[in-house]
Parts: sequence; structure tokens; C-alpha cells
Amino acid sequence: MKLLAARRVPSAIALALVVTIVVLATASSTRVGVALSVAIDLAIACAFIVSVPELKTRHPVVARALLTLLGLDVAIFLTFFFSSSTNFNLATGAAMSIVLLGLSFLTGASGQISLGNGAFMGVGAFTMAIWANHHATTPIVFSLLIAIASGALVGLLLGLPATRLRGPYLAGMTLAFAVAFTFILSSFSSWTGGDSGLQLPTAWIAPRWLDGFYHAGTSPLTTTTLYITDVAIVVAGVAFFFMANLFASRTGRSMRLIRDNDVAAELVGISLPRARVVAFIVSSAYAALGGALLTVIDNSVSPSTYSFALSVTILSLIVIGGIGTISGALIGGVVYAFSTSVISWITTHTGLNPQGNVASQLNGIIFGGLLILTMLFAPFGIAGAVRHFWHRMRSRPPG
Amino acid sequence: MSPGPELPLIALDHVSVHFEGLRALDDVSFDVSSGEIVGLIGPNGAGKTTAFNVACGFVKPSTGHVHYPTAKKSNLRPNQLVHAGVARTLQGVGLFPHCSVLENVMAGGHLRPSGGFFASFLSLPKEVRSERRLRDDARTMLERLNIADMADRLPSAIPYGIAKKVSVARALMSEPTLLMLDEPASGLDESELDDFARLIVELRATMGVLLVEHDMEFVMPLVNRLVVLNFGEVIASGSPSEVRENEAVIEAYLGVNE
Repeated sequence: MKLLAARRVPSAIALALVVTIVVLATASSTRVGVALSVAIDLAIACAFIVSVPELKTRHPVVARALLTLLGLDVAIFLTFFFSSSTNFNLATGAAMSIVLLGLSFLTGASGQISLGNGAFMGVGAFTMAIWANHHATTPIVFSLLIAIASGALVGLLLGLPATRLRGPYLAGMTLAFAVAFTFILSSFSSWTGGDSGLQLPTAWIAPRWLDGFYHAGTSPLTTTTLYITDVAIVVAGVAFFFMANLFASRTGRSMRLIRDNDVAAELVGISLPRARVVAFIVSSAYAALGGALLTVIDNSVSPSTYSFALSVTILSLIVIGGIGTISGALIGGVVYAFSTSVISWITTHTGLNPQGNVASQLNGIIFGGLLILTMLFAPFGIAGAVRHFWHRMRSRPPG
Repeated sequence: MSPGPELPLIALDHVSVHFEGLRALDDVSFDVSSGEIVGLIGPNGAGKTTAFNVACGFVKPSTGHVHYPTAKKSNLRPNQLVHAGVARTLQGVGLFPHCSVLENVMAGGHLRPSGGFFASFLSLPKEVRSERRLRDDARTMLERLNIADMADRLPSAIPYGIAKKVSVARALMSEPTLLMLDEPASGLDESELDDFARLIVELRATMGVLLVEHDMEFVMPLVNRLVVLNFGEVIASGSPSEVRENEAVIEAYLGVNE
């Protein structure tokens, strides 16, 4: 009976997903389609959660793919109900969570620390903007791939010398890159637009085949925000899926081995420099993808965004979320996405002058406070605390 | 293997190591062949650990060479050792503290053919299958050493004697022809020692074993051959009974000077 269930559930989920997509794509009113999919989503969620233990051990990739699809389904579903500004924040959070994934892998898995991921984001962001200004008709997926490649390349160039450095020295080198980056941008101002940055020539709008999905009769601006948010969510979902693969694979394991005991790792045949460079490249490619996505979301790019402060924010976000975990990156992204709303909520409810001194520092105050709380009460981040709690709940004897 | 005189698995060829004027090893030569257990012994500070570290590439010889004749290789770096069929354990247990026992053992099979980074990234079916096979083999290895029930624990949550077995299990996962054990007896109680000795003798059937040890009671009945170091030099080598009679060895251990 149990075996039967394990086989049926995945196909049921797959079928439900197909139904959802068809319903959403063909429904005469998007809202109706969305409403219809609610029930299906909930059914999928329940079925999935019930079948997870079996699925995870037997077909880990299928389980990961389904979990990703489910997450995407729910997230995209929600974007249809959110306001434009919430969607914008959500998209920014999705982009940030991709960056956090890369850092989670680098620092949590391979044990290297990077203070330069803000700059790697900038590499992707500016590659995206420069490319779009020269080749406006390139499809969005292709442009994102170019940004990833640029991030990977810069990661390789910086990663090679970095393999000889450890701990604080590596942090120092990446810090130097992060600080130098804004200066590099301004010295190539004919390409990067100098201090004012770059504007994208046109906004990405939903392709025609998605008309049924995005036509809901709202203003073009709302529709575009909605579309871009969904694009960001889908890209993040794909990034999460592949990172989960990596964490579960031989490559991911070899990173953990290096972090745990580099002498023993060498003895089982791992080349430390090679593995360290790979981790560096993955992390910078992910950062570049996040940055590129941010360019798409903002429709512009400014050098001041990619200052050293961003690298620090990224690092504190992944510490808050849970370093070395995948869910930690998601949590960090969500924290980032809603920090802006929280700040505006605070300013409106406390009567703080939004342009005032305190309000402009609220971001730092919130992240700093969260960071201190995390270090005190959940040294392995929110993801670590949840996992700990979960294990305690499960290991408690019944009754 | 072709018939005739068998090539040794590892051969130290007139190896000297100098650390900034300190002579840690001086013209040391010895070898280990398949089917024998060789013990490297000597008083504290005699250079046992240095010799061991030279043998597996952590320390570069100042002069001389380390050959791996059966693998037709020389002077390997630590991460290339497995390619030459050499696996070693580390002093203490040397496990990966945040990885489960099973993962620790799986680590030993790291060099099995794999699709590389992109196969991992995309989780290609072939890669997933080979990973599953590795997991199954690691479990089988744990069963072989009677510690399968520890598979999901962390190294910090298992007894020391079992952790030592896990480190051997990890080494065996690479299917070595030469197993190097760094102080296998240290920290083990009587029954664990017997257990460990039995395991080492069993392994001799398919590989050579080189071990560094200072527990003489453990070493003497176990090994086929001993290499005795003192002040970085080989002062004696031969069967345990030969070495026991050797004047220089008695002097080195008992400190009889006059």
C-alpha cells in the first residue's frame, strides 16, 4: 500500500501541475484561473508533503524538481494578489536570494569567506546593462546567461590567486576587490556610464504567448512589474534547483570535506586548489546572475548600488538565514525583500521623517540587530534553528 | 601481476629531510610489498612521522626519492596518492566532523569515475546512479567492519574505537594496494586492539600495510618486518625477532649508553 502511494503521488502531482498551467494559461480572466489553481495548489502541497520521505530517498532529483515547481507555483500564484510595490520587493528578494545561494555554497560548504560578492553582483548587473544597450533584442534568458558567464570569468580570475590564501587573507583580497570595483566602474565610464550608471533602452515586457496570463486589464506598468517579478521568481527557482543538486552531489560533498578537514580531503584525492576555484566560480556566477536580475527589475543600474556595503549586507543576510544551507538563502532573500516594507511601515507608524537621519539608517539598524540576535540565539541562522527545533520535536518520545 | 620478483608498492630511496638545519631524516631507505605488514617504529622524535609524511607527499624529501613502483609513479602529492593505490589514515581519527559516518566512508570513494562538475550540477541520471552505488558500497563496507548501525551518526557521537574503524573503512573505499596506518593502536582498549589486529591481518591478503606505532605489544606479533628509526636514521630492520635481538635497538629504547 505504501509502495503504491509512493508511485502514485508523483504522477498525481505532475498531472496537477499540468492542469494548473493549462488553467492559468487559458482562463479568460486571470483572476479566475488563479482562483481555480488555489485548490489544486493546496492538493499538491498536501500530497507532496505526505510523500516526501519516500520520494526523497528513492528519487532525490524528482523530489527536488517537484518541490521547486511547487514553490514556483505558490509564489507566482501569490504575485497576482500582491500590489506592484510588494511584487517589486519580492522580485528584488528573489534576485538577492540567488546571490545568497552562491555565498552559502562558498562559505558554508567550502569554508571560504568572501567580502566581494556585492562586486560580483555588480559584474553581472553591468554586463547585463551594457549588453542590453548594445543588443536590445536579445531574449532575456540569453542575456542572463551572458551575465552568468561574465561572473564566472571574473570569479575564475580572482579565484586563481585566492586559492593560495586562507581565512582573513582571502577575506582581505575579496574586500580589496569589492572596494576597487566602484573605482573600476568609474574609470571605464564610457562603458559603464560613470556615476549615473546605465538605463536600459527598453523594459522587458511579457511575450505575446503569455497574454492569457498577464492581460488582466490592469495598467501596463502593473503588468510589466508582475511579469518581471514572475521572471525573477522562475529564475530563482531554477537557480535553487541546481544549487540543491550541487549540494547533494559529489561536488557538494567534496566542498564539505575540505571545510571539515583539508588534510583528510587531500588524502581521498581531492585537489584543494581546484575545488576552491570551483566554489569561487559558482559563487561569483550566482552573484552575477542575481545582479543581472536586479538590473532587469530596476530597468537601470547604478554604481552606488554595488558599493562595499552591499557585500556586507549579503554576508549578514546569509548569516541570518543560515550559512551553508539552501533554505537559509531563501530566508535571507525574504528578509531582504520585506525589509523595505518594514522600514516604510515603521516610518509611517512612528512619525519618523522618512528623509531623516534615523530613517535612512534603519536598514543598517534592522540588519545589525537581526545579526546580533541571530548570533546570540541561533548561531546557525534561522534555517539552523528551525532544523534544530524540528529534530527535537521528532525525537521527543510520544505522549 | 606478472610472475617473477614482485615490485614493491612503495620504496623510499635514500630519503633525507632537513628542516632549517634540523636533520629529521637521514638517508632513509625501505620498501613495502603486497602481502606484508611493515611496522615503522622508534623512540619519540626518531622521525617516524616525518618518514610517514614523506611517504605520502605531505613533506618533500630534501634529497632522495619516494617511488611507487607498482604504480610506476614517483614523488606524488597527497591528493595523487589514491591514484597510485595508496590510502592512509591520520593520527587520531582524522574524520570529517560535520559529515555523517556514512558520508565519511563515501568520501573514500571520491576518485571513482564521475561526470564532473556539470553532471553534479544538472544531477544527470548517471551521476545520481553512481552516487547511489557509492552510498550502497559505503554501507557494505560498514557492514563488513560490523559498524553499520553507526552510519547516520556524526563522528563526535561514536566511541573512539569505532571512529578508528570508520577511518579504516574510508581508506578501504578507494580499494588501495597499500594501506598506511598512522598509530592505529593509540587510544584503543584491549578488546578493540585484538579486533583491530585481526582486521589488519585480514587485509594483508589483498594489500600491503605500513604502520607507524609505538605500542610494541601491538606491533610485535602483528608485523612481518620492522624498520627501526632513531635520530632520523634507520638503525635496524628485519623480522620482529631479529630486531628484538639487535644491540642498537636495545640501546635506543633502553638508553644504555655506556
